[in-house]
Amino acid sequence: MAAGSVIQYSGHKYFRHRLALSILSGKSVRIDKIRSEDKDPGLRDFEVSLLRLLEKVTNGTVIEISATGTAILLKPGIIAGGSLIHDCPLSRSVGYFLEPIIMLAPFAKRPVQLTLRGITTDDNDFSADLMRTVTLPHLQLFGISDGLELRIKKRGAPPGGGGEVQLLCPIVKQVKTLNFVEPGKIKRIRGIAHAVRVNPQFSNRMIEAARSILNRYIPDIYIYSDVYKGEESGKSPGYALSLLAESTTSALFCSEATSKPGVAPEDIALQATRALLSEISKGGCIDQKHQSLVLLLMVLGSEDVGRCRMSQPTPRTIQFLRDVRDFFGTSFQIVSIEDPTNPNSADLLYSCYGTGHVNANRDLA
Amino acid sequence: MDDKPHKAHRPAQAGGKVDKKEKGKGKEKSHGFNEKAFAPTSGHNANRLGRRAAEKDQTRLHVPLVNRTPDDLPPPIIVAIVGPPGVGKSTLLGSLVRRYTKRSVNGGLKGPETFEFLTILQTHGFPKVIGILTHLDLIRSPSTLRLTKKSLKKRFWTEIHPGAKLFYLSGVLNGRYPDTEILNLSRFIGVMKFRPLVFRNTHPYIYVDRLQDLTPPELIRTSHSKCDRRISVYGYVRGTNWRGQGQKVHIPGVGDLLVESIEKMVDPVPIIEKGGDEEKRRRMSEKRKLVVHAPMSDLGGVSFDKDAVYVNVKGSFTRREGEEVEEGEGEKMVMDLQEAGMTLDDAVKQTKIRLFGSSEKPLAVGGNDDDDDEPSSADEVEDDFASVDDEGESSGSEAELDTLNEVQSDPRNTGRSQPRRPARSLPQAESTGKGLDFDSDSGDSDENEDEDAEEGFIVNDDDDDENYIEEEEDDEVEGEDGEDLDMVDEDSDDDRDTVHPKTKHLDSQALSLRRPTRRDWTKDIYSTNLSPEEIVLQHSSSSSSSSSLTAHAQKSNVDVDMDNEDDGFFFKKPSNDTANTLLDSSTTLSDLADKSKPEFSSAELNKWEDEDMLESIRRLFITAVTETTGEDGGGDGAEDDDDDESGGDFVDFEATGGDPSLTSASAPSTAKKIPDPPPISSSSRSALATKKALLKARFDEEYDDPSNSNPSSTFYDQKKAELTTQQSLNATAFASIQDPELRAQLEGYVPGTYVRVVLDGVPGEMVNFFDPEYPLILGGLGAGEGFFPISTSTTSSSQTAPTPSSDLTLLRLRLKRHRFHPRPLKSNDPLILSIGWRRFQTLPIYSLDDHSIRMRMIKYTPDHMHCFATFWGPGMVPGLGVCAFNSVYDGPTSSGGGGNGFRVSATGTLLSLSPGTSSPIVKKLKLTGTPYKVFKNTAFIKGMFGSALEVARFEGAGVRTVSGVRGVVKKAVAGGNMGGKGGDGAFRAAFEDKVLMSDIVFLRAWYTVQPRKFYAPVTSLLLPTISPTISQASSDELPPQTKSTWLGMRLTGTLRRTLNIPTPLQRNSTYTHKSIIEQERTQKKGKFAPLVVPKNLIRELPYKSKPKLIGKQSSQTYLQKRAVVLEPEEKRAVALLQQIRALRKDQVKRRREKKAGKREEKEKREGGKEKAGEEKDKERKKSVMRSVGMKAKREAEAMGGGRQGKRRKVG
Repeated sequence: MAAGSVIQYSGHKYFRHRLALSILSGKSVRIDKIRSEDKDPGLRDFEVSLLRLLEKVTNGTVIEISATGTAILLKPGIIAGGSLIHDCPLSRSVGYFLEPIIMLAPFAKRPVQLTLRGITTDDNDFSADLMRTVTLPHLQLFGISDGLELRIKKRGAPPGGGGEVQLLCPIVKQVKTLNFVEPGKIKRIRGIAHAVRVNPQFSNRMIEAARSILNRYIPDIYIYSDVYKGEESGKSPGYALSLLAESTTSALFCSEATSKPGVAPEDIALQATRALLSEISKGGCIDQKHQSLVLLLMVLGSEDVGRCRMSQPTPRTIQFLRDVRDFFGTSFQIVSIEDPTNPNSADLLYSCYGTGHVNANRDLA
Repeated sequence: MDDKPHKAHRPAQAGGKVDKKEKGKGKEKSHGFNEKAFAPTSGHNANRLGRRAAEKDQTRLHVPLVNRTPDDLPPPIIVAIVGPPGVGKSTLLGSLVRRYTKRSVNGGLKGPETFEFLTILQTHGFPKVIGILTHLDLIRSPSTLRLTKKSLKKRFWTEIHPGAKLFYLSGVLNGRYPDTEILNLSRFIGVMKFRPLVFRNTHPYIYVDRLQDLTPPELIRTSHSKCDRRISVYGYVRGTNWRGQGQKVHIPGVGDLLVESIEKMVDPVPIIEKGGDEEKRRRMSEKRKLVVHAPMSDLGGVSFDKDAVYVNVKGSFTRREGEEVEEGEGEKMVMDLQEAGMTLDDAVKQTKIRLFGSSEKPLAVGGNDDDDDEPSSADEVEDDFASVDDEGESSGSEAELDTLNEVQSDPRNTGRSQPRRPARSLPQAESTGKGLDFDSDSGDSDENEDEDAEEGFIVNDDDDDENYIEEEEDDEVEGEDGEDLDMVDEDSDDDRDTVHPKTKHLDSQALSLRRPTRRDWTKDIYSTNLSPEEIVLQHSSSSSSSSSLTAHAQKSNVDVDMDNEDDGFFFKKPSNDTANTLLDSSTTLSDLADKSKPEFSSAELNKWEDEDMLESIRRLFITAVTETTGEDGGGDGAEDDDDDESGGDFVDFEATGGDPSLTSASAPSTAKKIPDPPPISSSSRSALATKKALLKARFDEEYDDPSNSNPSSTFYDQKKAELTTQQSLNATAFASIQDPELRAQLEGYVPGTYVRVVLDGVPGEMVNFFDPEYPLILGGLGAGEGFFPISTSTTSSSQTAPTPSSDLTLLRLRLKRHRFHPRPLKSNDPLILSIGWRRFQTLPIYSLDDHSIRMRMIKYTPDHMHCFATFWGPGMVPGLGVCAFNSVYDGPTSSGGGGNGFRVSATGTLLSLSPGTSSPIVKKLKLTGTPYKVFKNTAFIKGMFGSALEVARFEGAGVRTVSGVRGVVKKAVAGGNMGGKGGDGAFRAAFEDKVLMSDIVFLRAWYTVQPRKFYAPVTSLLLPTISPTISQASSDELPPQTKSTWLGMRLTGTLRRTLNIPTPLQRNSTYTHKSIIEQERTQKKGKFAPLVVPKNLIRELPYKSKPKLIGKQSSQTYLQKRAVVLEPEEKRAVALLQQIRALRKDQVKRRREKKAGKREEKEKREGGKEKAGEEKDKERKKSVMRSVGMKAKREAEAMGGGRQGKRRKVG
C-alpha cells in the first residue's frame, strides 16, 4: 500500500465510516462494486446526498462517481466547517448523516453549524434524541464539550419527514486520550417519549409501560414526555421512546423503539425497555452502538495509550477496526478483562496507541 | 600553613548564648515555629508579600510537556559542535573522544556559522546549548581576560537564555584541551537534562548511523549506476514512537520516501546497568572503552549487519609474537579467526549436541534429519490452510505468520523451531478452508491459554494437564485431516463433532470447572480473512459455551446446551448465508445495511419476560451495592465458597472498586474454581495478604499526609500528575506482549530502539555521492503532512493516483525579514523555506492585512514588520517555525544574502493551510475612463471597459472622479460598437453632481493574485561534495553545484544580471525630466480652458489673494523709446564726468588693496605674540596644578594608604 495511492474497498456496506476515515486521514479512497449485482445498481439517493453533504463540509474534496454509479473515488480536502444547511432525502433519517459528520466536525477549520432537514426519528439510524443525549456526551469524554449541542427544532416522523435539527460543534486542536475502564453501576435512567400528530396520551402510555419494568431496579427514573405541535411536529404522525441509562462513572447505555403501524404504544415501550436491558446486560463502559465513534477518537488521540472497556465488538465495529488500520496503521489490542466483581463478564479491554492526530485545519491566528 | 589542622569548635560554656539556650529549654520545640516572626507587620506589607510569593510561584511554572523519550532506555544523545572556522571544534572533538575512548583522532568538521545557527535554532526549537570559549590563553592581561569573559557571557545570555552554561577552556596541551576541563565538560554533558522540543515530541526520526546499498550490483552496472537504489540504514529511533507500517519519511536534502520495512536490531552500545539503585545510563564500561561505535568514521572497525559482521582492519592482520599491541575489537576477531584449529564443521561433528534434554540421539550433521521426512501434523494443517485460503492477497503470509507463532510458542510439538514453506498447494473448496480455519483457530486459543499460564496467571496443575491431553488429541485429529487430501465440508464438520465429544468425555467435571477458552479477538480481527459476522458468530458460540458454565444461568444447563448446538448448527451456514445475502442485495434490507441501530431479535427481547433474567442484571445497578454480600450469596452460588473463605473485608474492597490493574492481575485466583482446596487457599491467602497490605498502605498514606493524597492542589500540579500517570500507562500497557512483531504493530518502535530501515526507490545520486560529513536523517511525517514520493515508478500505476501538484496546498506564514538581511524580499521571487523536516524552494506572495477586510498584496516585505507570505507547499501542521533563505549558497555567484556570511533572510511561523484554489490575496486595480458627454447628473464614459459585456459585469459599481464626485455605473451604451461616440464599452453613469468634461473617472477594484504553483525540494544530498572539474564553460552557464552550493531557482535580479536582461520599465511608471513635463504642459495648454476669475470676485478679494494678472510689459516705455540728441557742450560735460568717475574708482580700488596688505601684516605679527602668551599661560597653570597635586598627595599619604592615590590617578 504505497502512500499517495488509493485505498480500495468494494461493496456498499460500511460506506459512511470509510468516507469519514478517508477525510480524516487525508488518504484517498475508492469504493467499487456498489450494488453491482443489484437490479437497481449503484449509489442510493441517501448515499449521494451524503457525498454532497461531505462536499459542503469540506473544501477541496474531489468526488468522482463512475457512470454506472457503482464506483466512487474520493480525494479528501480539508474539513472547512462553518454554517451549512442540508436537506436530507426521506429514505434515511438525519442520524445517518449526523454520524459521519460528528466524526469530522471537531477537526474542522471553523466550528460546524449544520442544519439538517428531514426525518428525525426512524428505525434504522439514531434518532435526534439519542444523538443529543447519548452520542454527544460520548464526545465529551475526549474533551469536546464547550458549545457542543444538537438542537431539535422540528420533529419529523417517517414517511413525510419535515423535521429540522441543528448541530453545533466546536473545534479542537487535539482530542484527549481516553482511559475508561470503570463501568460503574447504573445510577439513573432517563428517557424521552415523544409523539407527533397523534394523541399526546400515547407518550404517557409509553412512559407507564416502561416504568413498569424499570421501576424494579432503580427509583431514579425520569422519562420526559415531549409533544411537538403544529409546525414543529413535521408532516407525518408517529411516536417513539428513547431510553438511556447512566452509570456512576457516566457510562451511557441507550435504546430506542419507534412506532409501527398496528402496534400498541405499550408494546413499543416494552421493546425499548427490553432493548435497554439487553444493552445494560452486555456491560462495558460504552454502548454497543457507539463503539466505533469512541474507537475512532481513541485512535485520533495524542501519542499515548488509550484504554476503554467495552463489550464484544459488533460486526460493524470489527470492520471499522480493520478499516482504521488501513487508514491510520493503528491496531487495537483487545484482551478480556478479569473483573473480580463479575467473573462472568465477557467485557474486553480495547487499548491502542494514539496517532497524535493534530487538527491541521485549524488556523493559528 | 595549610597543613595545620583547624581548631575544633568548642561550644560556649557560659555567657549570653548559654543563658539564651537555658531560657529556651523550658519551652518545648518553640524553635522555628514562631509564626509571628515571619508575619507581615501591616496589611500593605502582607499584600506585597503575597504578590511576591505568587510571582515567584508563577515563574517556576512551565507548560507541562511530556517527554516521549523513555527514561530507562533512551537513545544516545547527539552532541553537535558548532562554530566558525578555526575556533577549535576539531580540537574539542578530539579531546572529548580522547576522554571517552583514550584514542586520538584527527577529523575535519563543517557546519554553519554561529549566528545563523542561533537563528535557525530559534525558529526550529531551542535545544540545550553549552557555550565554550576557546583561545582564551591568547589574552595576556588578566583584567582584559576577565572583561572579555564578562562581555561574552552577557552576549551569550542574551542570545540563549539568562544563566546558560558557558565553559572556558584555557589553552591547548599536546593538541588537546586540558584533561581536567574536558572531564568537567563531559560530566556536564552526561548529566544534562533536556526539555523536550515540541516538534521532536511529535515526530519520530532516525539519525542514520550506517548506510548500505542493497541494489543488485548487476542492475547498477547495467544502468551505469543511475538506477534507483534499495538501501538499508541503521540508527536509533528518536522523538516519538516509529510506526512500523507505512511510515512516511522525509530525508532532508533528498525527498520523501516510504519505508519498506523496519526491524529491531541489537543495540551496538547497550546500556550497562551499574548498580541496583544507580540510574541506567548509556555508557561504556572501562573494559569496553577501547571498543568504539563510531559509525561513518574509521574508528571502531566493526559493524554488525542483519546477517553479517564486517571487520575493518588497518595495517597487518598478523599477530606479532611477544608484542602486545592495543587492538580494536575487529582486529582481534580477525586474528582470533586465524588461530582457529579446525573448521566449524569438524567442531560440530566432534561435539554431541542434543536439542532437548529428553532426546536420545545427538544432533547429526549432514545426515537426514527427521524434519524433512515427517512433517509435524499441526504445521501441515496450517500449511494447507495457507494454500487454500487465498481470498485476500495477504492471507498466505499471515497464515504463515500464525504458523510461526504457533510452532515457536508450543515447545511440545516437535524439535523443529523453524516454519517450513509449503511446497505444494491443495485445490480445495473454500468452505473446507473455513472449517479448517476454525479448528486451527481453536488450537490458537488453546495456545493462547498456555501463554497466559506462562505469563503468570495462576493455573492449577491438574487443569493444565487436562489441557495438554486435549491438545494432543486435537493435534492428532488435525493431523489426520491434514493428510486426508479429499476432505470435504461434511468431513470437517464431523471432525469438529468428534473432537468435542471426546473432550467432553475426558472429564466432564473438569470441563465444567475449567476456565472458559477465550478466543483472541485481536488475532481474529487483524490476521484472518473472516468476515466480521463470522467472527462475531464464532465468538458468540464460544462464549455461549463458556457462559453455560457460568453460575447465574446454570439452572437450565440443558437449555443452554441446546442453544449451543443451535449455534453450532447456525455456524455451519454462514458461508452460504452471507453469499445469499450478497446475492439478493436488491432487497431493502441490504439497502439499509449501513445502519447503526442494531436490530434485536424477538427472542432476545422476549427473554426479558423471564423473572430470573430480569434479576440477573440487578447487580449492575447502584441499588445492588448496599446488599452486595447478600446478593452475591443468592445469585452466585459459585462465588459463595470463595467469599466464605476470603472474608467480608476482601469483598468490600472489590466492591468499592480498586485499581483496575491491581484487580485484573489478581483476578484469576477469584475467578477460578479449583477442586483442590490446599493450593487454592494458600494462593488466595497470599493474594489476600497482598491486598490487605495495599489497603493498609493506602490508608497509611492518607492518614499520615493528607496533602500527599491530594497532590492535585493546583491546576499545574494536576496536569503534571496526569502526564506522569499517562506515561506510566504508556510504558506498561503493552509491556506484557512477548511477540515483538505484535508489539511493534500496536505501539511501533519506541525511542531508543536501534533499528534497520529498508528504503526503496532512493535516487542513485544519493548513494553515489554519499558523504558521511553531511548528516542523513530520516524524519518521520505525521498523518496530516503531505507526501511527495520522489520516484513515480514505485507508486501504483493506477491513473487515479493523485499527482504531487494536486496534493500541494496553499500555506500561509507570518514572516519577518531578518534584521541582518540587507535587502527586502520581493513577491514572486524564489525563497527557500525550512519548515519541520522539509527544505524547499517556492514562490511566495507577500501581503498585509488591510483593515481585516482583505489581504493586500505587497511587492516587497516591509521593514521591521511582520507580513504574510502565501505559497504552495506540502501540507504541514500550523505552528511550526520557519526559517527562510534567498539562497543556501553564499559564494561569489550567490544570488541572495549579503555576502556577509549570514544567509537567513527571514523567520516566521506557519499559520494555516487551505487547499483548493481560493487565494485570499488581492491587489489594487484602477480602471480609468473619460466622459464624452455630460448632462446634469448623468455622464457617458468611454475608455474604461472594452465591451458591453464587461460593463454588464460592473453594473452598480461605484466610480469616482479625480475631483471627488462620486457616481455609479448604470448601463452600457446600446450599440456602442456601431459607430457610437464612445466606442465599444462606453457606459452611462450617474453622479452626485455634474462632472466636467476634463475629469478623469476611475473605478477602484481588487484583483485576486494567485501564487504560482511551484515546489522544489532542496536536493543537496543528491549532489557531489566536491564539484567535478569545470569544463570550458561560458560565463552564462552555472558552475556545477555541490552539496553546499545547491542553487535551485535563481532570483529574478540574479537572472537578469547574469543574462544581461534589462529591467523592464513601463513608461507610465517613470517620472520624466522637468523640461519634458514642462513641454507636455505647454503642449496640452490649448486643451485646458484658462482659469477665469470673475471681475466682481476679484474686486472683493484682498490684495494678497487677487490674481496677479498684470504680466511683464512687452512694449517699450516712453523713456526707453525716445531719441536723445546732445549739444557739444553737453557732450563734453558728460565725458568729463565719466573721466572723474573712472579716476575715483581706481583710487578707491588701490586704497583698498593697500589696507588689506597692512591688515595681513598686522595679523601675522599679533598672532605670533598671542601664541607665545598662551604657551606661557599653560605652563603657568600646569605648574600651579602640579604643586596643588603634590600637596594633595602628601595630605593623602598623611591620611594613610596608597588607595587614595590610586583613586586620584583614575580621577
